[in-house]
Amino acid sequence: MSLEKQSNEEIRASGMKDDALVEEHVRLHQIKHEPTKGFLQAPLIFVFVFGCLIFLCSIQLALTTNDFQLHPPKEADTETPEQKEANRWAKKLSAGKKVFLANCSSCHKPNGVGEPGVYPPLAGSNWVTTDPALITNIILKGLKGEIKVNGDTYGTTGIAMNSIAISDRQIANVVTYVRQAWGNEADPIEIFEDDVASVRAEYSEKQDQWVFKQLKDIYPEALFGD
Amino acid sequence: MKKTSEQHIDQSAKLAFSFFIASAGLWLLAAALLAYIAAAKLTDPLFLASWEIFTYGKIKIIQANAFVYGWGGNSIFAVSLWIIARLSQSLIRGSTFLIFAGTVWNLAITFGLFGILDGYMLGHELLEMPKEVWPALFVSYLVISFLILVVFRSRKQSTTIAPQWFIVAALIWFPCLFIFAWSGLEINPGRGTLSSILSIWFGQNIIWLWLTPVALGCAYYIIPSVLNRPIDKYYLAIFGFWCIAALAPWSVVHHLEGGPVPMWVPAIGTVMSIAMVFPIAVASTNFHSTAFQDISRVWNYLPLRFVIFGTLSYTISSYIGVIFSLPAVAKLTQFSIINEFHFNQRVYGFFSMIIFGIVYHILPQITGREIGTAAKNFHFWTSAFGVFAILLAYLIGGLTHGVLAQQPSLEWVTVIESVKPYFLITEYAFIILGFSQLVFVLNLWKVLVPNPFACCDSGAKQKTA
Repeated sequence: MSLEKQSNEEIRASGMKDDALVEEHVRLHQIKHEPTKGFLQAPLIFVFVFGCLIFLCSIQLALTTNDFQLHPPKEADTETPEQKEANRWAKKLSAGKKVFLANCSSCHKPNGVGEPGVYPPLAGSNWVTTDPALITNIILKGLKGEIKVNGDTYGTTGIAMNSIAISDRQIANVVTYVRQAWGNEADPIEIFEDDVASVRAEYSEKQDQWVFKQLKDIYPEALFGD
Repeated sequence: MKKTSEQHIDQSAKLAFSFFIASAGLWLLAAALLAYIAAAKLTDPLFLASWEIFTYGKIKIIQANAFVYGWGGNSIFAVSLWIIARLSQSLIRGSTFLIFAGTVWNLAITFGLFGILDGYMLGHELLEMPKEVWPALFVSYLVISFLILVVFRSRKQSTTIAPQWFIVAALIWFPCLFIFAWSGLEINPGRGTLSSILSIWFGQNIIWLWLTPVALGCAYYIIPSVLNRPIDKYYLAIFGFWCIAALAPWSVVHHLEGGPVPMWVPAIGTVMSIAMVFPIAVASTNFHSTAFQDISRVWNYLPLRFVIFGTLSYTISSYIGVIFSLPAVAKLTQFSIINEFHFNQRVYGFFSMIIFGIVYHILPQITGREIGTAAKNFHFWTSAFGVFAILLAYLIGGLTHGVLAQQPSLEWVTVIESVKPYFLITEYAFIILGFSQLVFVLNLWKVLVPNPFACCDSGAKQKTA
C-alpha cells in the first residue's frame, strides 16, 4: 500500500525513458539464439497444441469448402439403393394411378370391374396380365367389335382409346399400375417407356382400331381362352 | 538532457495532439448520444418516432460512423502522432498542415453524416457516407498519415520496435483497405455476391486492421514505459504482428456463415479465425506476463489500469469471438444480436479503453497539468461497469435470441419479447457509458482549455511548490 501514495508524476518519472525503451527492445529483437532463459518453459506443449489446431483447421477446411466450388453441393444422399428403388416404384404407381383415374376409370371404373356387356373388366382379366404388348397396343390404337373376356362378351361399339392424348411414359405408368392393381398378378410386372415406344414403332403402319381376330392372331397365347 | 529532448517533442506535438484529441472527444460525445437514442428506440419504438431523421436505421449507422471515423480516426491520429514522435526521438513538423487536414477530415465526416440523415446513405458497411465526402476524407487522411510517416522516417534508431510496427502498419493499412473496397464497390462494382463479401470485409477489417493494431501498439508502448521493464517474451511479438497481418483480413469473412456466398468463403473465414488464436495468445502473453510482474503499479497508475482492462477484454472477447465463429455455434447465433456484442467489445471494451488510458498518460506530459484522480477514477469505474453491462447483455441476449429464433414453434414476437430485457439493460448501460465519456471529455477539455481563473490558481500553487 506504500505504492498507493505515489503520484502519477512520480510513477511516470520512474518509468522507462523512450530512448531506453527503444534500445532495450531493439536489443531483445536482435538476440537470435538466446538460451532457454526467458523463453517459454513448455515450448513442446505449445508446438503440440498449435499442431493440433492446424490439423483440426485443415480437416474443417476439407469438410466445408466444397472443393472451392461456386455452388453448394446437392442434398446429402443418405438413402440406400433399396429405399431408392422403393421410392421410385411408389412414385411410378401413383403416377399410373393418376393417369388411370383421369383417363380410364370413367368406363373401367376406379376398381377396374368395368360394366357388364359394355366395358370389359381389368381386374382379373388375362388381357391385362399376360403380354404387356397387348394392353399397350389396345391403349395405342383402340378396339372395335365384340370381344370376350373371362367368358363374357363385351363391346358392341368401337372404342377410340387412341384419341386419348397420353405420352409413352404415361402409358408405361398406367399399364404398370393396372397390371398390379385389384389383385392382378402379372409377369413382368413393370413396363418401361421404351417398351411402349417399341410397340408404337412396330405397329406404326396401322391406322384403324384393332379387332378381336387380329389380336388373337398376334397374341395367341395371351387370348387362348377367349 | 534527455528530459529536455522529450519535452521538445511534446512541445512540437502539443498543437496537433490537442486538436485531434479535442475533436475526438466531441465525436465521442456525439456517438454516445446517438448510441443512447438507438438503444432507446429498440426498447420503445415510439421514442422520437415523429422525426424522420431519427429513424433507427439512420441513427444506428451514424453512430457507428461517428464512432469509428470521428472518435476512432481522430484519436488514432493523436496517439500515433505522439507515440511515433516519442519513439523516433524526432520533432513533429507541419503542425499547420496536420491541423488543416484534420479540419478537412472532421468537416468531411460531419457532411457525410448529415448526408446520411438526408437520405444519401450508401449500402456498404462503414462506407455508408455519401460518395462525395470520400475523396476529401481520403486525401486528408493521406496528408495526416504522410506527416506522421515523415516523423517515423526521421527516427534516430533505424531498427523498429513493436509499437512502431503496429501503429505504422495501421496507418498504411487503412488507405489500402479503402482503395481495395472502394474500387470493388463503387468505381468498378463487382457482380453478384462480390459486393456483399467486400462490404463485410471492409467493415470488419476497419476494426481489425485499423483500430486494433493502433490499440495494440499503444499497449506495447505504455506497458514497458510505465513499468520500467521490457516486454516479456518480446521475441513472440513479431510473430503476433505478422499473424494479425496475414490472418485478420481472411478471418473476418466468417461473418458470412449461412449467407448467399460460395461455401468456401465462410469456411476459410472460420479456419482463419481459429488461427487467430495465435496472435491473440501472443499479445496477451506479452502484455499480461509483463504487467502482472508489477500488478500494484498497474493498479495504482490509472492510465495503465485502463490499458490492462482493454487488453484483458481483448483477450477474453477475442477467444469468445473465435468460439462464435465455429460453424456449429454460428448456426445458432448468426442472425441474432450477438453481432452487437462483437462490435461493442471491440470498440468500447478494447479500443476505447486503451485510448482513454494512453490519453491520460500523454495529456499531463504535453500540457503539464494533472487530471484529478477522482474524476479519472469515476471515469474508469463507470466505463468498466458500462462495458461489462453492455457486453454481458449482448452476449446472453444474443444467445437467447439465437437459440429461441431456431425454435419453429415459437412466434417471432415471442422471441423478440424475450430479448427485450437485454435491450433495456443496454439502454441503461449506454446512459452510464455516456456519463463516463462525458467525464472523460470534461477532463480532457479542462486540461486543454484551462479555465482562466483556475489557471492562475494552479500557477500560483506550482510556484509555491
